[in-house]
Amino acid sequence: MFQSRTEALALVLPAALFAAIVFLAPVVILLSEGFRIEGSWTLGAYTDFFSSGLNRAVFFRTLRLGALVTAVAAIVGYAAAFAIVNLSPTSKGRMIGLVVLPLMISPVARTYAWIVILGRTGIINQLLVGVGLSDEPIRFLFTETAVFIGLLQLFLPLMIISLVSALENMPNDAVPAARVLGANWFQVFWKVILPLTQEGLVIGGTLVFTGSMTAYITPAILGGSKVLMLETLLYQRVSVANDFVSASVIAFILIVMSFSANLLLKRLATARTKR
Amino acid sequence: MNPRFFTPVVLGLVLLFLIGPFVIIVAASLSAGETLAFPPQGLSLRWVFKVFEVESFRASFGVSLFLAIGGTLTALVLGVPAAYALSRYKVPFGETVRTIVSSPIIVPGIIVGLALLRYLVVPFQFGILPALFLAHTALILPYAVRVVSASLGNLRSDIEEAAVLLGTSRPGAFFRVVLPNIRGGVLAAFILGFVTSFNQVPVSLFLSGPGVRTLPIDMLGYMEITYDPSVAALSALLAFMSMGIVFLAERFLGFSRYV
Amino acid sequence: MSDAFLSLENLTLAYGDTVAVKDLDLTIAQGELVAFLGPSGCGKTTTMRAIAGLLNPKAGQIRLDGIDITRVAANKRAVGLVFQSYALFPHLNVFENVAFGLRLRGMSGKALETKVEAGLASVGLSEFAGRRPAALSGGQQQRVALARSMVMEPKLLLLDEPLSNLDARLRLEMRTELQRVQKASGVTMIFVTHDQMEALALADRIVVMLNGEIEQIGTPEDIYNHPKSAFVADFVGFENVFALEDGKLKTDKGPIALSAPAPDVAGLAWRPGMVTLGTGPFEGSVRGTSFAGSTREYLLDTPLGAIKAEADAALALHDLGALVKFDLPVDKAVQLQRFG
Repeated sequence: MFQSRTEALALVLPAALFAAIVFLAPVVILLSEGFRIEGSWTLGAYTDFFSSGLNRAVFFRTLRLGALVTAVAAIVGYAAAFAIVNLSPTSKGRMIGLVVLPLMISPVARTYAWIVILGRTGIINQLLVGVGLSDEPIRFLFTETAVFIGLLQLFLPLMIISLVSALENMPNDAVPAARVLGANWFQVFWKVILPLTQEGLVIGGTLVFTGSMTAYITPAILGGSKVLMLETLLYQRVSVANDFVSASVIAFILIVMSFSANLLLKRLATARTKR
Repeated sequence: MNPRFFTPVVLGLVLLFLIGPFVIIVAASLSAGETLAFPPQGLSLRWVFKVFEVESFRASFGVSLFLAIGGTLTALVLGVPAAYALSRYKVPFGETVRTIVSSPIIVPGIIVGLALLRYLVVPFQFGILPALFLAHTALILPYAVRVVSASLGNLRSDIEEAAVLLGTSRPGAFFRVVLPNIRGGVLAAFILGFVTSFNQVPVSLFLSGPGVRTLPIDMLGYMEITYDPSVAALSALLAFMSMGIVFLAERFLGFSRYV
Repeated sequence: MSDAFLSLENLTLAYGDTVAVKDLDLTIAQGELVAFLGPSGCGKTTTMRAIAGLLNPKAGQIRLDGIDITRVAANKRAVGLVFQSYALFPHLNVFENVAFGLRLRGMSGKALETKVEAGLASVGLSEFAGRRPAALSGGQQQRVALARSMVMEPKLLLLDEPLSNLDARLRLEMRTELQRVQKASGVTMIFVTHDQMEALALADRIVVMLNGEIEQIGTPEDIYNHPKSAFVADFVGFENVFALEDGKLKTDKGPIALSAPAPDVAGLAWRPGMVTLGTGPFEGSVRGTSFAGSTREYLLDTPLGAIKAEADAALALHDLGALVKFDLPVDKAVQLQRFG
C-alpha cells in the first residue's frame, strides 16, 4: 500500500522545499561569500581572517574554552553520574529530572544569574570582602573564567545524562570483577569504566564541545567585548563593521565544527544499534 | 571512596551549581531594593509587577508567543506528512530528504538569522517578522520530524491496511487510525518546539527591528540599559512558565517517552 | 472459467525490481476453503496481499465474482483480511473495532449495534465489547479481528498465518472455529500458512508454492499421498526422497539399483513407514532411534545416505550401531514427476 513514489514525494516535498529555500539556500550563499573576492574563488578571506591577531586569539580562545569546559564537564559528569546511578529508582528519576530541569529554562535566564553571583556586588565578592580575603571586589565578570563557568553550567546536564546512560549500560559485574582481581579505584576507572562508557563520553563530549563553540548568549553576557568568542565576534563584525566576509568565514568554521560533531554522533549511534 | 558521603556531597554540589543560580535569580527578583543584588534587600513583588507594566516586554512577549505557536504549528503541518512519508514509504532520495529537513539543527541559529537578513529581508524588502517566522519554523522543523518519526516508528503500519480494507480512503486511514495513535508524539513535538522557539536567541539577533523583537532579545537590550531586578523577575517568570509546561506535559503525557 | 469465483490470470507480482510471483494462474470456486502453503519467501503472502489490493500487480489480472478487480482500490474490493498481527485499532475498544467498517458504510444507531453484537456473539466475545485490544489475549484479539472482517460480509476472506501465533490447544480451538464460521456463512476463504499440518487439517484444497510459482494444487489427500515433486514430497513429510537416473537411485555414492525395476519418472519417495526393516538387499547401521508411542523411529546410515525408517513399537528393537537389512520397495514408493 505504500508503493506510490508520487504519493511519497508529495508528502515530503513541502517540508523539503521549505527547508531548502528558506534555510539551505541563504546559508549556502552566505558561506560562499567567504570563498570569493571580486567574483573569483579564493581562500583569500580565510588567510585574511587568520592573519589578524585578534581573530586568531578569538578562534583559539573558543577552542580552548570549548575543550576546557568539555574536560571539566567530563570529570564532574562522571562523579555525578556515579552518584546518580547508585540511587534508588525513584530518587534516580527525581535527580535526573532536576539535572535536566535547567535545560528547559532560557539560556538568558540561566546566564543572567551569574551576574548576580559574580558581579562586583555579587555574592562571591560579598563573601570575599566580608570575610576579609580581599580588600577590594575582584573582577570576575567579563573574564574567561566567567564565560567558562557560564558555559559549564549550561552544558553540564548534557554530559551527566550521557554518562548516566552509558554507566547504566555497563555490565554490572565489570567493576567488582576488576576489584577482585586487585585493581585500585584509579585502575578500575581507567581500565574498566572508561573503556566501557567511552561512547557515552564521546556523545556527551561532542554535545558539550559543539555547544560551547557555538554559544552566543553566555559569552555575550559574561564575556562582553573583552572576552570575544566566535559567535560574539561574528555579531560584532556584522553589527559594527558590516563585515560580511568575516561573518561568512566564522560561519563556515562554526558549521564545519557542528557538522563534524553531528556526523560523529550519528556514526556512534548506528554503531550502537548494530550491536 | 565511601559511597555514603560521596553521593550526597557530589550531588549536592552539582545541584547547587546547576540550580543554585536560578534560585538566586528568583530571590533577587523578589527584592524590594533598586538594584539587582543578592541577598535581596527586603522582599517585595514590585519588580514582578513591573515586568507586566513595561510595554516593550509586553510587545516582545507577544512576538515570542506568536512565533512559538505559529512556528511550531507550521513546522508540524510541514513535518508530520514528511515524517509519515519517510517512515512508511520508500522515498526517492529518502536519506537526502531527511538530511535536508534535519539540517537546521546543525547550523548555529545566528548564521540562519544573518543569512535571512542579508538575502531575504534586505534585497526583497521582506518584513522582519515574516522572516523571523520562517526562521523559527525552519529551526523547529527537525524536532517535529524527529519526534513524530519516532512515534510513527512505534506504530504498526498494518492497522492502516486493515482500515483501508474495511472501506476507508488513504487519507481517511491517516486521520482515523494513525493520528489518534500518534497524538502523544505530536503533542510532545509541539511542546518541544514551543519551548525551543521561545528560548531561542541567536536567530533573532539579526532579525530584530523597531517593534519586532523577541522577548529574550528585548531582555538583553534592557539589561544593557538598566540594572534593575525586573529582568531577573522576567527570567524567573519565563523559567517557571517553561518548567510548568514541561511538568504538565510529563504529568499528562509522559512527555519524556517521546524525546 | 465460468464457475471460478476468484481467478488469477498470468499474475506477476514484484517489489521494486525483485519478482516475487511469476505468471501465476489459479481459480477458486465459491465457498471453498483454500490454503496457500509454502516456505517463507515462496510468494504466498505476496499473492494474498495482491488479492486484497495492497499490492499492484506488475502484470496479469484478478477477477472476483465476475468483476475484474485488478485496478480496483483496496477499499472497494469487498475482500476481508485477518492480519497475522490482527491489526486491531489500539485506540478503539472491541465494539468500535468491529463497528469500524460498518460506520464507514454509513451505518449507525440500532442497526449498527445489532450487527456488531451479532458479530461478537458469533465469535463468542459478547462480554468483551467494552474492552481495549491491549486487555485481550492473543486468541481473543484474533477473534475480534475475525468478527471485524466478517460483519462486512465480504465476498472473500483472507487470513494471514491464522494459527501460527497460537499455542497447541488454542490452535485446535481456532481451527474448529474457522471451519465452523466458514461452513455457517459459506464465505470463500483463503488462508496462508507455512505449516503443512494446518493446511492438511483445514483446507478443501491446497496450493503449494515455491519461489513464486505453484508446485502443486490438490486436495489434502492428493498432496499427502501423491506429491508430484521432490519439494512437495519433502514438505509433507516424505523423509526418503531420491532422484532417478537410468532407472537407478541417484545417491552421493553413485547410482544404486533397486530391488525391482524402477518406473520412468523423475524420482521416488518413501515415508518412514514404507521402508521394509529386517530384510532386503540393502544394509545400514542404526545411528539413532526414538520412541514415538505406537511406533519406533530409526535413523540409518546406509550406502544410499541417511534413511529414516519406522517400525511397530512392539517389534524387536534394533540397537544403536547394529546392522540392519532394509528395502525400499518400488511398489510402495510415491512417484515424483519433478525433481529439484
